Amino acid sequence: MRVVIAEDSVLLREGVAKLLEDEGFELVGRAANADELLLKVRSHEPDVAVVDVRMPPTHTDEGARAAVTIRELHPDVGVLLLSQVVEATFALQLFSESPAGFGYLLKDRVLDVDDFVEAVRRVARGGTVVDPRVVAELLGRIRPNDPVASLTTRERGVLELMAEGRSNSGIGNKLFLSPKTVEAHVHSIFTKLDLAPAADDHRRVLAVLAYLRS
Amino acid sequence: MSASGSTSTNDIGGRGRGPGITLDRLRGGPVGTFLTLYDDLHMRTIVLIAAGGVLGAIAYRAQVHDLHSPSDRAAATLAYCGAFLVAGIAAWARRPANRLGPLMVITGFALLARQLRYSHDPAIFTAFFALGDLPYALVGHCVFAYPFGRIRDRAERKLVVAGYVTTLVFPLAVLLFFDGRPPLLQYNPLAGPYRSLLRVPSGGRPVELLQKGEIIVFYGVLATLFIVLIARSLVRATPRMRVVLLPLLVAAVTVGLRAVFECVFTFVDRPFAYDYLFWWQTAAIVALPLALLAGLLRSRLARGAVGDLLIALERTSWTGLRNALAEALGDPTLELAFWLPERREFADRLGNDVALPGPDSSQAATLIQRDGEPIAALVHDRSLLEEPELVEAVGAAARLALENARLQAELRVQLKNVEESRARVVAAGDAERRRLERDLHDGAQQRLVAIGIKLRRAQRRLGQGIDPSVEAVLATAVDELKVAVEELRELTQGIHPTILAEGGLSAALGSLADRSSLPVQVHATGERFAPDVEAAAYFVASEALANVVKHADADAALIVMQRQNGTLLIEIADDGIGGASLARGSGLQGLADRLEARGGRLRVESVRGVGTRVVGEIPCAS
Repeated sequence: MRVVIAEDSVLLREGVAKLLEDEGFELVGRAANADELLLKVRSHEPDVAVVDVRMPPTHTDEGARAAVTIRELHPDVGVLLLSQVVEATFALQLFSESPAGFGYLLKDRVLDVDDFVEAVRRVARGGTVVDPRVVAELLGRIRPNDPVASLTTRERGVLELMAEGRSNSGIGNKLFLSPKTVEAHVHSIFTKLDLAPAADDHRRVLAVLAYLRS
Repeated sequence: MSASGSTSTNDIGGRGRGPGITLDRLRGGPVGTFLTLYDDLHMRTIVLIAAGGVLGAIAYRAQVHDLHSPSDRAAATLAYCGAFLVAGIAAWARRPANRLGPLMVITGFALLARQLRYSHDPAIFTAFFALGDLPYALVGHCVFAYPFGRIRDRAERKLVVAGYVTTLVFPLAVLLFFDGRPPLLQYNPLAGPYRSLLRVPSGGRPVELLQKGEIIVFYGVLATLFIVLIARSLVRATPRMRVVLLPLLVAAVTVGLRAVFECVFTFVDRPFAYDYLFWWQTAAIVALPLALLAGLLRSRLARGAVGDLLIALERTSWTGLRNALAEALGDPTLELAFWLPERREFADRLGNDVALPGPDSSQAATLIQRDGEPIAALVHDRSLLEEPELVEAVGAAARLALENARLQAELRVQLKNVEESRARVVAAGDAERRRLERDLHDGAQQRLVAIGIKLRRAQRRLGQGIDPSVEAVLATAVDELKVAVEELRELTQGIHPTILAEGGLSAALGSLADRSSLPVQVHATGERFAPDVEAAAYFVASEALANVVKHADADAALIVMQRQNGTLLIEIADDGIGGASLARGSGLQGLADRLEARGGRLRVESVRGVGTRVVGEIPCAS
């Protein structure tokens, strides 16, 4: 899998790059700012770009804006945004356009190597990655009389993983459940929350996030 | 602008510049100087009057003896010549610095000398005929030189030059051709004979043509232009200047009458009204120099206004001071500028810098000083420079009030400085927080994560064969690093929320709402503002929301952010018990201080049992 990485801190950029190379990724480009990133993406057309939200010159949202541009100009390139903080409101703003091939993770998730590598692969394949903290934040605001409160513990676990952007098989792997069981749980959740069944994983993520957000 | 910077500045209170504008006289200064000055004035006046008397007698004789004028006409002619002379002498004495006085004196003498052109002696006739029309050009010069003593308008200057040229060229040309016949215009046909010493023998006789040509050019064209230029200067003048320029109306009437008179005289047989016209003209020409003199000395009449001013100053407020001074000086455009010794410059009453008018401005400045140190400057209409006594007297009367006003202006400036420095301190504090957040973000946090990655890579390189105890150490180290990163993140958030930089105000408000234990609705646009504006709005919302949670006993809250005419409005409303106020020593007071320092404000509307609304207004001109 071909990766471009954009991160202004050399230390971190090289660390993540080596980590990904160790895991068998092909590092085709390294960028220290948004302009370099856009240039590398255009010339290498990678499977995925791993992008720091804050980069020079203003150190505010250069990476996020570059991500929007990449997704407009190169819809086949997945973008995984890394940030020092993750916030549900900002995440929903980012995902509202199209969640396909897009991810938003806390930067220190790279230390959970397996999960991180899995996330990069998922985004590269056009999937969605939502940081667990965003999901936790949204679930944390659930009131006692909310239908979510009526879910079983297992269903709630499945809901969290759905919201993080995982597919049924991904959920099954994580929770050691068979695909059939996962499917049954998902069906039950949608019924309890009165949600229309989603056509694909991306729609499902959006529907779940929007439900939790409202 | 410094006190000594302007060339058009008139000093009052210290030593004046010219002998006529010193205040020493009023304050009992060097008496010797004054007496010498007085003697000089006296001497010159006596000499001039004596010379005028002698020349007047000669002129009278020329009128009666040579021109055969009736004695009343001769006396009338002498009267207007004398009027110029006497008015000129008086103006010279009262306004020594103004060149109009000497100019009027010269005009008076020239008018008297003109009469010598009627002499039958060929040499005197030739000399004074040649110069005989010049006095009328001088009259025009006097009018345009009023009130400053010199002509400032280019068109006026050109007209005066044209007048001089016309009145010199035509008589000379006449003298070249004049051979005694036909009689000259304006001369008694029965008087004579006259002989030009300049005559060159020639065939043609263009004398009458030349004389009529001069009358058409001088009394027709130039006189019309003269009246037009006077009308123009009256129209263009400032209100105060218009009053000063009123004597020019007399001049226009004079010239109009004179032109009519000459044309009627020249081209029409003496009409029925001939006699009346002569006397009108005479009255107008007598009135002209007197009007100019009266205009020059007008400030002597305005002195009475100073008495009123003294009474008005007794009980005047501070804005009333300007109005009282403006009234006493008769100048509605008057402005006051106060000297700020610390800044070495002038400021208005609000402490804003004031530049004193330069030499080309329609305004001029007069300094009010005490002990050589300026107190204030009166910025007034330039025409007041011609009335220094009035300005001096008004300035002297108002000095105490002006000094009070100056102290007030100085206080205001200090207040403004304090406010500005408060704003700078707050801004510096905000900037410091942002910098600290960024340093932590770019430095320590990144480095910790990078170290974590190294440990993880080491862990994975060692692979399956790893010693379980080493594996445990590495795993624990990474776990502790994660905790450290998390703690650092919490710390950073407290200093300055990262999401404010990364996602802007709307994202930060959303995160605030998400973290709140209350249901909070947020209405915000994704618009970005300057970092300090976003931070100020965020901290208002954060503090107000914390208050709602702690004190309001509310079921829900609402945050609204909107831009309104260069102001960012941030409003936090709840449905709680109310009763909140800025005065209660809450965190709100600190917020209000911070907003005020940046030129914004904080309002709290709290009704018991209904709820509380906190509204922050932050200037965000972008």
